[in-house]
Amino acid sequence: MKNLQFFPARLSTLLPAKVSAALVLSSLFPMLSYGQTPTLSTPTISVILDGYYQSDDRLLTERVKGFGLGETELALSTSIDDMFYGKLTTVFESHDGESEVNIEEAFMQTMALPNGFTVRAGRFLSDIGYLNNQHLHTDAFTSRPSAYRAFLGGHYFDDGLRVSYIAPTDLYWLIGTEVFTGNSLRSADESGEREFDSTGVYTAFTKMGGDIGIESSWQLGVSYLRNENGQLSPQEHDSEEEHVEDEHGDAHSASYTGKNTFITDFVFKWAPNGNYKYQHLTLSAEYFRVSDFIAADLHDEKPNGENNDKDYHQAWYVSGVYQFSPNWSAGLRYGKLASQLPHEDYFEQQTLKETELSVAWHNSHFSTVRLEFSHQSNVGFENAQNDNVITVQYVMALGAHSAHQF
Amino acid sequence: MLWLWGLTVRINFKLLLSSILLTLSHSAVAQLNIFACEPEYAALAKELAPNARIYSATTAMQDPHQVQARPSLIAKMRQADLVICAGAELEIGWLPMLQMKAANPKVRSTEQGLFFAAEHVDTLDQMSNVDRSMGDVHSQGNPHVHFSPKRILAIAKALTQKLIQLDAAQSNNYRQQLEDFSNRWQLATEQWQDFATQLQGMKVIAYHSSFRYLFDFSGIEQVADLEPKPGLAPTSGHLSKLLKHATQGNINAIVIASYQDPRGAKWLADKANLPVVVLPLSVGGNEQSSDLFSLYDSVLALLQQVSNTQQQLSINR
Repeated sequence: MKNLQFFPARLSTLLPAKVSAALVLSSLFPMLSYGQTPTLSTPTISVILDGYYQSDDRLLTERVKGFGLGETELALSTSIDDMFYGKLTTVFESHDGESEVNIEEAFMQTMALPNGFTVRAGRFLSDIGYLNNQHLHTDAFTSRPSAYRAFLGGHYFDDGLRVSYIAPTDLYWLIGTEVFTGNSLRSADESGEREFDSTGVYTAFTKMGGDIGIESSWQLGVSYLRNENGQLSPQEHDSEEEHVEDEHGDAHSASYTGKNTFITDFVFKWAPNGNYKYQHLTLSAEYFRVSDFIAADLHDEKPNGENNDKDYHQAWYVSGVYQFSPNWSAGLRYGKLASQLPHEDYFEQQTLKETELSVAWHNSHFSTVRLEFSHQSNVGFENAQNDNVITVQYVMALGAHSAHQF
Repeated sequence: MLWLWGLTVRINFKLLLSSILLTLSHSAVAQLNIFACEPEYAALAKELAPNARIYSATTAMQDPHQVQARPSLIAKMRQADLVICAGAELEIGWLPMLQMKAANPKVRSTEQGLFFAAEHVDTLDQMSNVDRSMGDVHSQGNPHVHFSPKRILAIAKALTQKLIQLDAAQSNNYRQQLEDFSNRWQLATEQWQDFATQLQGMKVIAYHSSFRYLFDFSGIEQVADLEPKPGLAPTSGHLSKLLKHATQGNINAIVIASYQDPRGAKWLADKANLPVVVLPLSVGGNEQSSDLFSLYDSVLALLQQVSNTQQQLSINR
């Protein structure tokens, strides 16, 4: 544990700190030699290397045209004692030539509360939806579906508290609730005068799942997110420019927010004989509806009661990934986003349709090289010209590799 | 949507209250709930605790290294009083996730309701220095210990201790079951030993080190592995290297486990004119193996068949 002091003090302040990546990297490398069997005194250490080349820019993504680094992460985790488990995940990202070090996870979780209760506190990935609690490097595509990019800033992690309960039944049934600051899900505030709630996001979710015979498994989830700061600011007028800026602004901020978000998700996995070594299939689908973003007085401002504006955004995707052999897998995903872009006194409807085909080569469980073709067509977005994007990506796992979620 | 939120909060609160009350008045469970990571340990549990409710997370047709931490397994582990796994890092890719999601404090530690078989025996091929470039190797040694009769007996004894620790009310029962099992197992072991001596000196190419302990027990030599490195699927380059090996030496058979892809083995067998033997990895891996005894019987019989045909062939030649 003594090596923990290698972390610059400012990293532990839970705030995204911009530190020279070179400095941090050099100070972290001595720790990699500790990637042995985790014991009580030596934490599990893992590093994910993620790099890419992308032929063009994509809407609502952090990844820019050309060569770049994706989410390069360093994670430490261990059981702290018989009750607590702790994890720290730092992410190295570069935006516009500047390197950033962000803390994506820094949480403690109870492991021994009675009767199926678990409490997690600190900074962590929210358990809403299917993909959100999964780390980006486990994805079968180079970027998250447009629903996640538009409404959750790619993936939603925040500072807060979770309480969950798992029922003692053969049918898997989990219910949980979370409270977060909601900073990254605040709606735009041009005036800088808006008073946001400091505890802005509340979630409630439930997941159910089970097996169908030996070969198939499924999970169904329903989540609700209430965002006290999700409504547009009443004085928001010529917001077109700001909104565009918002899309490229803080990397993890949501581009579209609303008071109420409703998500349903479904996952189905299949493997011959239930043996995941050689072939397996994963089908997943999610639907997002983000509503109530028009501030009350904006409603009232409408002349002649002529109110045709939709007060919701929605998005969905379906995805299928098949592993042909331990070395090869391919995935196809289609997603659609329908959002409303606020203008002075009306909302402009936007749509973004994306089709992605990805082929991945896995030399082992720990290394993946992926080629992805994505086709996007949109209405109402600024840069509409880039229709086809080709991305080549590698994802490598160094050190201890933590278990994957379903 | 507000009502949904309110409802969940209220349910949570109610559950919290009732659960606190439940903990205070929790009495001994009538039936022990056992979660086995692999079918061989479900079978052993059935021998030692026939009255328990036993669930096996995997079948003999599944690779125990690669299991999804799926909802059904989380739900089963949530209810378990005892979790029995091979250990030695075999389940490292999924067991920690299940433990974390199942939120069951009873099966968190080996001091309580968690039992790792490999901790109670000497494992083979322990390594002091493990590197990823070596493939999926386990520093704590080969975890597929269930094909060693003497190790199974040691595990049975340790598991009985664990059962008594968790369910003291039935301790006499468990001791009796162990005695009964030990007697039958020792008798059977003598027969298996006789079988094994006939197999001694047999040379095989096998897939992974799944049968390391079986070969150790029976004096069979695994001269090559279909996997280029542990955990990696056979490549064409590696197979052609093996073909050279197979045509040179006096290899008797190619051995694969019930869950392993037979294509590489079949290709090699065709080219080198060798028989392929598919052995059940565990209980349920073929029709004959319905418990640990019949698993051993079946595996040894299958190997002896090959050995016999080959001897006849060489006599005919």
